[in-house]
Amino acid sequence: MIRVSTGMIFDAGVNAINSQTAALLHLQQQVATGRRILTPADDPVNAARALVVNQAADVVSQYATNQNNAMSALEQEEAQLSGTGDLLVRIKELTIRAGNGALSASDRKSIATELRARFDELLGIANATDGNGQYLFAGYMGSTKPFGASVDAMIQSGSEIQYQGDDGQRRLQVSATRFLEVSDAGNDVFMRIRNGNGTFAATYGTNNVTPGPNLGSGVIGAGAVTDPAAWVTPASGAYTIRFSVSGAVTSYQIYDGATALLATPATYASGQPIPLQKTTAPPADYGASVTITGAPADGDSFSLTPSTSQSLFRTLANLVGALENSASGPAASARYSTEIGAALNNLDRASDNILRVRASIGSRLGEIDSLASVNEDLALQYQQTLSSLQDLDYAKAISDLTRKQTDLEAAQKSFLAISKLSLFNYL
Amino acid sequence: MSIYSIGITALNAAQTGVLTTSHNIANASTPGYTRQQIVQTTNTPLLTGAGFLGQGTNVQTIQRITNLYVSRQLMSAQTGVAEMDTYLAQIRQLDNLLADPGAGLSPALSAFFKGIQDLAANPSSIPARQAALSGAQALVSRFHGLDQRISEVRDGVNQQIADEAAKINALAVQLGDINQRIVLAQAAGPNLPANDLFDQRDQLISEINAEIRTTTVQQGDGTYSVFIGSGQPLVVGTQVSALQAVRDNDDPQRITLALRTPYGSTIPLAESLLSGGSLGGLLAFRTQTLDTAQNSLGRVAISLAQTFNDIHKLGQDLDGTPGGDFFRMASPVTFAGATNTGTGVLTATLTASAASDLTTSDYRLTYNSGNYILTRLADNTSWSSATLSGLPPAGSPQGFTLAISGTPVDGDSFKIEPTRAGASSLAVLINDPRSIAAAAPIVTSTPLNNTGTAHIDSGSVTSTASLPLGSSVTLQYVSATNQFVVSGPIAAGPFTHATGQPMSFGGLSVTITGTPADGDRFLIDDNTYGVSDNRNAVALAGLQTSKTMASGSATYQDAYAQIVSLIGNKTREVEVTGKAQQALADQAQSARDQVSGVNLDEEAAKLLQYQQAYQAAAKMIQVAGKLFDEILALGR
Repeated sequence: MIRVSTGMIFDAGVNAINSQTAALLHLQQQVATGRRILTPADDPVNAARALVVNQAADVVSQYATNQNNAMSALEQEEAQLSGTGDLLVRIKELTIRAGNGALSASDRKSIATELRARFDELLGIANATDGNGQYLFAGYMGSTKPFGASVDAMIQSGSEIQYQGDDGQRRLQVSATRFLEVSDAGNDVFMRIRNGNGTFAATYGTNNVTPGPNLGSGVIGAGAVTDPAAWVTPASGAYTIRFSVSGAVTSYQIYDGATALLATPATYASGQPIPLQKTTAPPADYGASVTITGAPADGDSFSLTPSTSQSLFRTLANLVGALENSASGPAASARYSTEIGAALNNLDRASDNILRVRASIGSRLGEIDSLASVNEDLALQYQQTLSSLQDLDYAKAISDLTRKQTDLEAAQKSFLAISKLSLFNYL
Repeated sequence: MSIYSIGITALNAAQTGVLTTSHNIANASTPGYTRQQIVQTTNTPLLTGAGFLGQGTNVQTIQRITNLYVSRQLMSAQTGVAEMDTYLAQIRQLDNLLADPGAGLSPALSAFFKGIQDLAANPSSIPARQAALSGAQALVSRFHGLDQRISEVRDGVNQQIADEAAKINALAVQLGDINQRIVLAQAAGPNLPANDLFDQRDQLISEINAEIRTTTVQQGDGTYSVFIGSGQPLVVGTQVSALQAVRDNDDPQRITLALRTPYGSTIPLAESLLSGGSLGGLLAFRTQTLDTAQNSLGRVAISLAQTFNDIHKLGQDLDGTPGGDFFRMASPVTFAGATNTGTGVLTATLTASAASDLTTSDYRLTYNSGNYILTRLADNTSWSSATLSGLPPAGSPQGFTLAISGTPVDGDSFKIEPTRAGASSLAVLINDPRSIAAAAPIVTSTPLNNTGTAHIDSGSVTSTASLPLGSSVTLQYVSATNQFVVSGPIAAGPFTHATGQPMSFGGLSVTITGTPADGDRFLIDDNTYGVSDNRNAVALAGLQTSKTMASGSATYQDAYAQIVSLIGNKTREVEVTGKAQQALADQAQSARDQVSGVNLDEEAAKLLQYQQAYQAAAKMIQVAGKLFDEILALGR
């Protein structure tokens, strides 16, 4: 037989009520806060996991912020470049109009005047700033004005515009592994544009019989490269096509510096492509040709220099110079035509380059879009994981709460009933 | 003998019975009270012609109903409960500290890196820089806040250890006193036990057990001797020792215990030998949880400071000056043992790879017969070497190096706490937002007159030894050899061109992709006026998700989550163990109460029983009187 002491009845009753109350309080706190894990001790493993998932969710939301930042930076740049595109269309129109041989000197001047305005407009775009006053096209040197020039100074000096920025491209982390470029250096946008046809540039030369500019009416086109692999860079820095006229026959010889490349001078026919080749031993085909039209005079020459980078500003300044300094006469108008042709050619290359940069911006924006949707999925997933780790199942909690309440009431009532029993009541 | 005298013995016995029962009823709720009952026997009978004639009754003794085995079990269970209760009360403070997800380290860490990311988006913006700096300061103050709270808990533990010692001393003195009184009371002989004194003695021992686990030995004279630890005497008969709260030999910031015997000697008590009770709970909490928690937090702070500084110093600020230290990094704390006799002063220095090598343990260095022995206290791994340069050995780096000045003597010991002060000493060293090194110190460029299609990447810096460059480093391509020739302030190369392969020299690394033409040049320059450069800020922001800690296995957040998990798991473990101990104690208590507890119904029944016995005895005397009256009546 178990002997029960009065103390045991009271102790057991109070202990039971205490533990029920503690459980009830815990449930009540869970319901009140909506958190399943009140302190890490409630579920140490998931409490720690929740912290790690929380950081992952924070990082993902940071990527979303970075994506927005990247997008706004790229859109700003794109807005400026789309302005440049429109500008180039207008400049090309003007250039084509300028190519019309019937224009008077004053017509050319008025075109030149508009081109000067366009030049300044272009300079404005190249020196554009973002919302924080930082230059968009200065690379890393955001507080340095990248381009400083005037048409007059450029025409006078004939030298390239000075780019004051650097080649830096700012990058932002837009996903765990992707660092996206959010800027483009002015160097790459406005400066690194190959002149001529991309392999060589054909220019109006000098007459070596009567020292001075060409005397004939020969106009050289941009030339074409049919086999880029065969192209050989001239050792002297330029190929020269020189004409000699004897009687009715105009013939030409190709020189690399002082070295003649053709075994015998070839006969010239206007509009007939002149292949760039070497017929002296060892013979070689340079995979390119130029077309010269008109009637070159004895001693006239044209030179072909390997393409170098020429800024859009230089191209414009050259154009304005040609328009403003044009003279009359067949030789001068041939020179004018060559320069307008070269300008058109270079403008095409410039607008190709702007389009290239814009296409790259577009693809980066597209990439952000697709990363953003991946990011949203991830954020949602993390939220779900977090919720399953931390959040309370209300239905279960409230049913537990009711059950515990009943338990507690039962413990209280039974304790009261038992504690009232005493033999002393009957003495 | 007469009916009278038999009646009187019966009356006396019944009265004693009533008194004992009343004593039981009165003490029904006295803690530690053991129910008593009278042991009643018959008096020696008288031999008459008719045989043995009963001589009434007497009360031989008043007995405590107790079971020594059950009482011991209860005491052992109670000391376990007290230990777990105290441990739980302490660790709950840490558990609650880490409970609110909005108040721990993790939101401050996220906000800090968000500031760095936003800075990367707007490297030249002073408000963005200021925000990053404020984020850093908020992070540091969060570290300080957490560490401060842990330090407060530590101070509390130190204080409580002293309080516990005082409490145990008071109880021990009382026990000595009771022992003295038992000796006096028992002078009448062992057959007349001093029941209530025994109860008081047992109760005192149980109270001492609630403070610390003891072993007790009953002496022949009825007194108890109490021993703690591995047999250090607290009370022997009437001789009482005193516990003293003293500073730890190795670490003056740590309060530990010593025993002062009545003969005047002081015995240091090894912490590992003291267990059970509130004191045992406090000591266990301090070594198992508190130290580890504070060290872990310190380790996160040190790793953050070191890795962040390392990258920050590779960059340059808004004014083009090289980045300096961003955070102040704590140095390891060392203490020389109080009993050291040598002149050695130990210094510990963090290594360059401390961020990944540091553990959360403390260390002890001892010097013996020309050898240094370094022990990692968490797992008692030890290394031995004749010189300090060999400790810790290169094969198992611990994140610090040791050096000693002065001469140690055999037996000297030193304590090393590499990470304890990590969080409290963390500080932001930069206060000018312009000084955040968001930019990289070099820029690369591809000249416009290159004829090839190759381009150079933006490059990276692994060491600033050769910076600033002063003038351009030029990489010129020679097609005949397919090589890049390096000229300028750094002598290196030539490097064979392989597209996309990084070329590293002089702490710089660049990659050229594409096809260069003969004579193409690529330039590396000092980054001047690069205010929009965010390369270093992007690298700094990347630290948030880099596994820089614990040999490259954990991010800062992982390491912090480990602390949360450690505290959470330990709290749970203590909770569960505490519950089990409580169940054990409840069982032992009810086993004891089954034997020794007072049942009022039982006492009520006994009261009735003795009352009736008393009434019967009184009746007996009345009958004797009546009988005598009959005899008197005969003479009338």
